[in-house]
This record gives sequence, C-alpha cells and structure tokens, in this order.
Amino acid sequence: MTVPWEQLHGAMTHFPIALLLFSAACDFGSVVLGKMAFASELRKVSIYGLAVSAVASIGAVVSGIALTKGNMWGHGELGWHHRFLWPAFGLLIALAIWRLLVRDQMSRAGLCVYLFLMFLTSGLIAAAGYFGGELLLGGG
Amino acid sequence: MLNAREINAAKIAVLTSVLTLTVTFLAGRIYWQHAAKEEPKPAAGFDTLVAQGRSFFAKSCAHCHGRDADGGEDAPSLRKLSISPGHMTLVIQSGIKDEMPSFAKKYSDTDVQKIVAYLQTLK
Repeated sequence: MTVPWEQLHGAMTHFPIALLLFSAACDFGSVVLGKMAFASELRKVSIYGLAVSAVASIGAVVSGIALTKGNMWGHGELGWHHRFLWPAFGLLIALAIWRLLVRDQMSRAGLCVYLFLMFLTSGLIAAAGYFGGELLLGGG
Repeated sequence: MLNAREINAAKIAVLTSVLTLTVTFLAGRIYWQHAAKEEPKPAAGFDTLVAQGRSFFAKSCAHCHGRDADGGEDAPSLRKLSISPGHMTLVIQSGIKDEMPSFAKKYSDTDVQKIVAYLQTLK
C-alpha cells in the first residue's frame, strides 16, 4: 500500500502554521491589553499554542521528508520552501522550549526579543507555506 | 537585559533546536540514500523509455499542455520544470485539485516513470 504523503503533508502542515500564528497573535494581544486579567489568559493560551505547534511541526517535517524521499534542499520552489522552512523549524523548536522554561517570568528585554523572534518565525513559516502550496497546488 | 533564568533557558532552547535539526538532516540523508538504492532500474534503454514516455504524453497530456509541452490555454508549459522527478511522479499520479486529473489508474508506476523520463529531456 502506498502512503499518500502528499495529502498527509498538506494536512499536517496546517496545524503548526495556524497554531504558531495564533500564538503570536495571542502574545501581541497580551502586550496590547497590558495588565488586564485577560492578558494573562492570553499568555497561557499562547504558551500551549506554541508548544502544540512545535510538536505538530515534527509530524509535518517527517511527512515532508517522506514526500521528497529525503531531499532536504532541492531546486526551484522546493529549494525556496526549504530555505524558509528549516530556519522556521529551528526557531519554532527553540522558542517553544524557551517559552516553556521561562513561562511568565520574562523580563522586558526577554519579551521584546521573544516577540521579535515570534514574528520572524511567523513570517518564515508563512513564506515556507506559500512555496509549499505553490509546489503542491501550483502545477509546478 | 535578560535575566539568568532566561539566559539558561535560551542555552537549552538553542541546543535542543540544533540537535533537532541535526537529527532531522541526518535522518533525511539516510532516507535519501536508502531511496536512491530502492529506485527501480529501467528495464529498457533510456531512449526507448523516453520514446514510450513521449507516446503516453501525446495521448494523455498534449491536449492540455501542448503537443511540444510548451503550454496550452489552460495548462502551463512543462519545459524547464524545476521540480524533482519524484515530485513530477507525484503530480502525475495524484493530479492537482480542480486543475489536473490523477493518472494513477490509467498509467502504472513504470509508465509514469517513462512520462517523467520524457519530461526530463525537455529541460
């Protein structure tokens, strides 16, 4: 039986992308709301959203490797997909681990660096998703 | 400035991330080498393979992608494709939603390889 990696990869990539963007939005919301009680709830949601995104990204990466038969770089759109994907994947794992360890005990500088990296990762993953979509749905 | 807890957490996070990427790339490399060994060898000579692929292309693909594969009204040119042979195979077998039908039932894996071999000659 042939495993439909193309469909599986397409399905599995949406969870980490959506959760990362959601987590970044929650962080942004918590900063905007400042000291309101809801801001603290948003931060908690953001932590778990990011953690689940990091775990789900492993499934997406594994299915992607299976789909390309271990081609970790490639040319054309596949190459661009990977150029954005690997930094995004590395950053996502690092940010999730860091956030789980630090939780709410972030300094102002820590929060600034974290938010900058979250938005950078969101941009990278969005670009990787764009080229991945072009690859699978754009007709080559 | 970052506090001590943040700095320690950052060290662990970076180390875990680098380790994850290293394991991922190693796994990919091993899979790549394994897949290359498993790649079925063509039974006929390459020219015969390409000729058969061209024949299948003319029968099933040319009416949309053009007789010379340089594109039609509704389908793109297949010349200078930048995707891998593995991905060409996937697209032919799976199709593209709302744009291109799947040819998995019409052509066997070997036949699809012939079409891919032909498409590779167009680069």
